Amino acid sequence: MAAPEGPFRAAILALAEGRPAAAVPLLEEAAARGDGGGYAWLNLGLALSQLGRLAEAVPPLERAAEALPDLAEPLFRLGQIAGLRGENERAVACFRAALERHRDHVPSLAALAATEETAGRLLEAAALIAHARALDPAEPELGAWAARIALARGDAATALEEAEAVLAQRPEHVGAAQTFARALLRLHSAEMALDRVAAHAAADPFAAGWPVAAATVHALSGNLAAALAELQAAAALAPEAAEVQGELGKALAAAGRTEEAEAALRLAVAARPNDVGLRNRLATVLWKAHRLAEALAMLDAAIADFGPEPALLMNRALLLNLRGEQAAALEAADRAIEASRGSREALVNRLSVLAYHPEGHAQALLGIGRRIAASLGPAPAPLHDARPADPDRPLLVGLLTGNLCRHPVGWLTVSGIEALPEDGFRIAAYSLRPREDAITARFRARAAMWREVGAADDAAIARLIAADGVDVLLDLGGYGEGGRPFVLHRRPAPVQIKWVGSQASSTGLDCVDWMLTDRWETPEGFERFYSERLLRLPDGYVCYAPPAYAPPVAPLPALATGRVTFGCFNNLAKITPAVMAAWARILVALPESRLVLRTSALSDAETRRLLLRRLIGAGLPEGRVTLGEGLPHHAFLASYGEVDIALDPFPYTGGLTVCEALWMGVPTVSLAGDSFAARHALSHLSNVGLADWVVETVDAYVALALSRARDLGGLAALRAGLRERVRASPLCDAPRFGRNLAAALRFAWRDWCARAGAEGKRAR
Amino acid sequence: MNAVTSAPPQDAALAERLAGRARLALRERRPAEALPLLDRLRRLPGQAGAAAALRAEALLDLAAFQEADEAAAEALTANPGSAALLQLRARAHAACGRRLDAIDAAAGAVMAAPGDPLAKALLGAMLLDDQRTEEAIYFLGLAFKAMPDNPRIQLRLAAALRQAGRHEAAAELLDHCATIAPNLPGLAEARSRTALAAGDPERAIALAEEGLQRLGPDAALYSALAHALEAAGRREEAGPYFRMAARLAPHDPYLAHLAATMAGETTARATEGYIQSLFDGYAPRFETSLIALGYRVPGLIRRAVERLLPEVAAGRRRLGPVLDLGCGTGLVGVALHDLLGDTLVGVDLSRRMLEEAAAKGIYTALRRAELSAALREDQGAYALITAGDVFCYLGELTEVLTLCRACLAPGGLLLFSVERGEPGSGVRLGAQGRYHHAPDLVRAHLAAAGLEAAETREEDLRLDRGQPVPGLLVAARIAGC
Repeated sequence: MAAPEGPFRAAILALAEGRPAAAVPLLEEAAARGDGGGYAWLNLGLALSQLGRLAEAVPPLERAAEALPDLAEPLFRLGQIAGLRGENERAVACFRAALERHRDHVPSLAALAATEETAGRLLEAAALIAHARALDPAEPELGAWAARIALARGDAATALEEAEAVLAQRPEHVGAAQTFARALLRLHSAEMALDRVAAHAAADPFAAGWPVAAATVHALSGNLAAALAELQAAAALAPEAAEVQGELGKALAAAGRTEEAEAALRLAVAARPNDVGLRNRLATVLWKAHRLAEALAMLDAAIADFGPEPALLMNRALLLNLRGEQAAALEAADRAIEASRGSREALVNRLSVLAYHPEGHAQALLGIGRRIAASLGPAPAPLHDARPADPDRPLLVGLLTGNLCRHPVGWLTVSGIEALPEDGFRIAAYSLRPREDAITARFRARAAMWREVGAADDAAIARLIAADGVDVLLDLGGYGEGGRPFVLHRRPAPVQIKWVGSQASSTGLDCVDWMLTDRWETPEGFERFYSERLLRLPDGYVCYAPPAYAPPVAPLPALATGRVTFGCFNNLAKITPAVMAAWARILVALPESRLVLRTSALSDAETRRLLLRRLIGAGLPEGRVTLGEGLPHHAFLASYGEVDIALDPFPYTGGLTVCEALWMGVPTVSLAGDSFAARHALSHLSNVGLADWVVETVDAYVALALSRARDLGGLAALRAGLRERVRASPLCDAPRFGRNLAAALRFAWRDWCARAGAEGKRAR
Repeated sequence: MNAVTSAPPQDAALAERLAGRARLALRERRPAEALPLLDRLRRLPGQAGAAAALRAEALLDLAAFQEADEAAAEALTANPGSAALLQLRARAHAACGRRLDAIDAAAGAVMAAPGDPLAKALLGAMLLDDQRTEEAIYFLGLAFKAMPDNPRIQLRLAAALRQAGRHEAAAELLDHCATIAPNLPGLAEARSRTALAAGDPERAIALAEEGLQRLGPDAALYSALAHALEAAGRREEAGPYFRMAARLAPHDPYLAHLAATMAGETTARATEGYIQSLFDGYAPRFETSLIALGYRVPGLIRRAVERLLPEVAAGRRRLGPVLDLGCGTGLVGVALHDLLGDTLVGVDLSRRMLEEAAAKGIYTALRRAELSAALREDQGAYALITAGDVFCYLGELTEVLTLCRACLAPGGLLLFSVERGEPGSGVRLGAQGRYHHAPDLVRAHLAAAGLEAAETREEDLRLDRGQPVPGLLVAARIAGC
């Protein structure tokens, strides 16, 4: 080959200096000119792959494979990309073709081993790795691989030895350190494993691998805080090691430390753009920081590069939903179901999205719930022990949730739980996320038992609940983020009830005996929408605990400004095109009126811009819409001072948001549908005697908003007395709610006792 | 192990990364996260002292007091005379219960940094812990003068004033503090307790309730409220607050005990658990500790036996069967051992206490049981039943006294101690979680149980923070016998 000249030469130089982005345009130019033979194409493909632009890398690599018929490399790279995109058959074909060109091509042998490993053919994988190592005995990557496969085959001793050898050569090798830790745990107790790792760390304190191994042992034993501490040390020791930074980033993200997580993950992704897990994790971190547009762009780029990965698609669905783009969200959710061949996670994902979608009717939601139930298979034998079916004895009530804190679940359940009579109901909390705030403290003060179980798997949590002897288990997480509804499938308690916590519809699960509800959420005849039996409380199904720091109710702003301000402080997922169209009709009919939207997602400028565009597109007058960012809770409540009337979204209506608006003196115009989520507002408004603020059609919704807005005198009078009215109503009457809840739980318990008694008789 | 030791990187960059991350972790109150970083930092040349100082801080925050103390000592070796390290050491000493060492270290910090009011405040706090109230007020007063707007110093000075009985001054200072830092942790509790100490339980209740309303649930505030309710005679209402306090501070045995006691009969087993776990942990150092506290009860029991059973004292007769209720490590057995002529049965809840008692080789039988249960099962007729420092854990005494009566031989003697309350004050729960019984109430309990007092003596039972604890030593026999 002649010495390359011009752009090709410059490109090779750029690649050698680690500047692939600079090389790309040069290589494109060189390839177009036919410089460098097939090597311009090959290097272009490599540079693009290195930048994570996998989709673009394929055509140049295909050109290179044609132009360089004796070279294994282009085919190997094509196979690698296919593998990353989950196209396993294509990947295997590429690797085999590469090996036909060059039977000792080590990377292809290793890659083929990886696909064999994924397919569970461990013997074949081991043989391929052995072949590769015979060719390149010094390569530690192959050693790490051999260690992992040895462990998968159950040979922990070999795995340990191999992993240790890799770490001696590459002290910051994350994969080897993790295999080392897993192998130790296979051979020893966690405590002994930690001792062994500590001995290595003491002998070799500046190697990053040992703290990574310690972190792995801690994480596998459920001690996430200790794992994070070790990873901090590893990251300080190996600031250049992308994989170490990636592990730290993931741990920080799991701990909710978004800013630090982003910094670590960005470092890791820059160095390893082909790691789909890292890019997905970074997207979720951005999402938690309310940077929805960036998060979505990151997911879209990853989907373009890696193909329809279910995890990417599900996050895309949730993100689109959060931006109020329900139709696109549902489409992504459906693609995830297809790509995962109907996995349970994808079905749960679809249910979460559908509840917000205009088509999210009770019947459709129950349908997905039923599919989720079917995916669980038949019910296993109950875990709870046989216990005396004594209808009147004190009961142990379990709460299963990650949200015993300042969260809708906390605000809507804490005063009710507190008010349950102590002599009849002991409380056991199964907390899925460690949280500590004033609401948590109230739960702690009421709970006789408190267990942090977030790190345990469903089976272990269920065993614990059963061993504690819980009589009635309340699921307060549902299908929402961090919820663990499938714990109930193992039947840890004789009576299992769904209450607040992503309570948007029926769960569809046979293991949920009851839905705690009321006559507004589920009137007579709604039984057909629920797999659960309906346990109706005589008033509302929740009890709101208003915060002591809520500012006083401000006077009706319209009296000072002379024009009505509507407000909606719900999250954007609820704001569908139909909602926007209804709001447009209201604002057009009342030319002086304004609309204020406020929620934390609006702290992101790009999200604000997009929403404004959609609002204008729906016919809302631009100058009369204000988009407010998220605020600390007391300031958020205070900002109801600028709102005369709240406009509720539909079909997913406001829950806590309606309660807070009422507490701040602001009544809500609402439209009730048939799903549970579509009737939250109806329940709360009816509970304070404002049922006449709820209608059933969009036309009636618009008409009601207009007529209320035209009656400033009525509004001012209502507002002046609203907090007292709410305080005195069943919505905030904790003692009354406590009695009702006690009676309902007792009813469900007696029902079980009666059934257990009847079964006992049959058995005899 | 064939690990290859990588050469210690000499670069300052690594040290800075490790120390920087550790400092950040400490600042954000994540002490556990600092430790693995510091394990590496101390292995870098010249960094051991700095690492030890940060480690001491982290361990102190993690409540690993002994280790924190050691790390502080190591840091001081590397950097003797450092005022900051001396303060750290003082806090570590204090947390380990070594009050005098804590005072020494804090005084060293004051001398090393005479211009630092925070060092004086720390010394004041340490002196306060040791009941050296006037000295505490002096140093906290100096700190207060230098930093009149520091609410933490105000809070401590107020505590010292309260301890000195200067309730009005304490309350005034706390009111001032409340205007500067109304949400300062501990302030609401201090205000409530100060009002209670000043004899105004109603105000104490109002202050605690207001704090709870504003700040939300808090173990110390619930406990203050419960004490205030108790003092106001609203005992029924106090129980649930002790219980909530105990749930919020699950590792505080004192609160757990109070909660259990206030709950009445239904949770007698919780009380058992408390006594058992408290004394199990206490057993190995029980005697030293009691002797250091001037514990007099076994000696008092011995002298009562000598007075009331002169034949036995003179060696002309031996003691018949003896039952020692709440025998602990067996100190009563030791006090009586040369007088015994028959069985000596010990009863206690704590397994480890019983092990200590068994090691003395004096008791003929030792039973692990709750008092009432043991007495119910016992078929014996004892010449002597002793209950030293036991009935202070029971509020109502009639039941246990009745059971004792059933186990006494005709003419047998029951000797017990109680902590003495004011006449007419009934039964009160004291700050240490023990009951104080008024003498007239004890007499009423005895009568109700069919016993009569052969002798009732006012005695100091032991020292608590240098103050004698007033008690009663009662000798009783079956009435009319």
